[in-house]
Amino acid sequence: MNLSHPSLRPALLVFLLAFSGAQTYGQVEVSVPTLPRVGLSITGPLAGGATEIVSNDLKRTGMISPVGSGSGDYLASGQADESGITGRLVSKKTGAEVFNQTFTGRGRLAAHQFADAITQAVTGLPGFAASKLAFISNSTGSKELYLADIDGFNTRIVTHDHAICGSPGLNHDGTKLVYTSYKSGYPDVYLIDLPTGSRTRIAFFPGINSGPSFSPDGSLIALTLSKDGNPEIYTMSLDGGSLTRITRTRGGETSPSWAPTGDRLVYSSDDRGSPQLFISSASGVSDMDHLVTGNSNCTKPDWSPGGKSIAFTARIGEQFQIGVFDVASRTAQLITTDGGQDPAWTRDSRHLVYSNNGRLRLLDTVSRESLPIPTSVGGCGEPTVSH
Amino acid sequence: MNTKCRLPLLIALTIALAACDDSQSPNYTGMGGDNGGGLPGGDTVNPGDASSGIPPGPRGNFNPDNCDYTTLAANTVYFDFDKSTISGSERGKLEAVSEWFKANPGHSLFLAGHADKRGTPEYNRALGERRALAVREYLVGLGLPAAQLYTNSYGSDRPAVDGDTEEAYAKNRRVEIGIIVEK
Repeated sequence: MNLSHPSLRPALLVFLLAFSGAQTYGQVEVSVPTLPRVGLSITGPLAGGATEIVSNDLKRTGMISPVGSGSGDYLASGQADESGITGRLVSKKTGAEVFNQTFTGRGRLAAHQFADAITQAVTGLPGFAASKLAFISNSTGSKELYLADIDGFNTRIVTHDHAICGSPGLNHDGTKLVYTSYKSGYPDVYLIDLPTGSRTRIAFFPGINSGPSFSPDGSLIALTLSKDGNPEIYTMSLDGGSLTRITRTRGGETSPSWAPTGDRLVYSSDDRGSPQLFISSASGVSDMDHLVTGNSNCTKPDWSPGGKSIAFTARIGEQFQIGVFDVASRTAQLITTDGGQDPAWTRDSRHLVYSNNGRLRLLDTVSRESLPIPTSVGGCGEPTVSH
Repeated sequence: MNTKCRLPLLIALTIALAACDDSQSPNYTGMGGDNGGGLPGGDTVNPGDASSGIPPGPRGNFNPDNCDYTTLAANTVYFDFDKSTISGSERGKLEAVSEWFKANPGHSLFLAGHADKRGTPEYNRALGERRALAVREYLVGLGLPAAQLYTNSYGSDRPAVDGDTEEAYAKNRRVEIGIIVEK
């Protein structure tokens, strides 16, 4: 085993941290951990493409090492054709079948679904290979809304507003999209039902209507409105009713993101001078819990689907970096060094999609490894991920 | 640009747009029109909340992209980084705007707030809005009628100057004063 391989170092580090309480470092030195290895053996007319997709998806988790069919701790075998993939996972240690399932997603989706099932079975964490990305790109000359698979494939333009579009938010299953558009001349919030393509303008008060974010159950959005003066956080239902004001400050509040329990919101406020993160009850009770991150300029928080972490954008000198706030210990740390902003969690609460210099990237918050997401357009920003 | 030559261009543009696509012609007032947008359903908010300053007025029935930003270009108000307070050195410009307004009765103004490119787009949109509302509040304080002062924020999406220098950033942190040329 080659210990100098970069992808193995983070795993070793995690192991050291996890076991340092129980074992001496001398003992750890000889018991080198490895990622669980999954052998792939896919046959059928679409075997080549499916093998490549599943292999890349497993590698991207940072928790699984895909290997050839002859080796591994698990064997993932399958039959890939136009109707999808029939996939089976067997533990080589016990010989037991872990699952035997048919994945019927169209095109590349079936292979992503197979990879997610393997990831869930082997690591206990949900895979995110079948997740969709929504983001903004200015590659046509105006900021429009785009969708892509999380591996960058199937990049496609959604809007042709020839205006400014921004701040997309996907609902839990990726079937509904909310975003801001200046189509009317002013920033309004629109809702798109993706299966039908129908679009409705749902918030168009005087002032700005912006930064919409779906509640975990998809029944409400939180957003920024300035109709009562400076920009404040509100929640409302998708049909435009049940408007509830959440904040009441002299500053500006932006980028609300829901706790997975749906009872609280995290957002950025500059009520105390420079922008800081706060948590408030989603019911409209006036309370503001200041999250002390150690950084004087924090914006665009995103609450992880597991609930334990809040990612955010921190300004450090002239650069912007991604930070993560741990909700239980109330401590924060920066997890990028090469710049980044607008982080969004994937469904495993371990990876983040973010933007840096017009490109989307995927960051493993444990290993800190960052990979480019090869969307077919440049000038990208404000990514969001379906869970 | 001479403002006198703008009108024929505007008419030509309007005709061209109308010829292109009637069904897609934008409605600049929002569905609520001059009543201020609005939505069905219960609103738990007291609109007169004192902590939030003067709320933005309803959206007017005009195309905000057709404002004349040339006449009062010298009165563009600039801001410090991350700030929406109008500094002492910029107040004279708004006093001059107030004089112009009183000498040209019947006009309405469009206050367009902007931020420099640094930071997240959502934060910058809110910052541009606060700058526009701060200018509106200042002009109301000088005696201008709030109903003739419209606002919008373009965040960091419409820079006056491209570039990554502090000089460029300083020119982009601004509120431009437009004159509404069509009602």
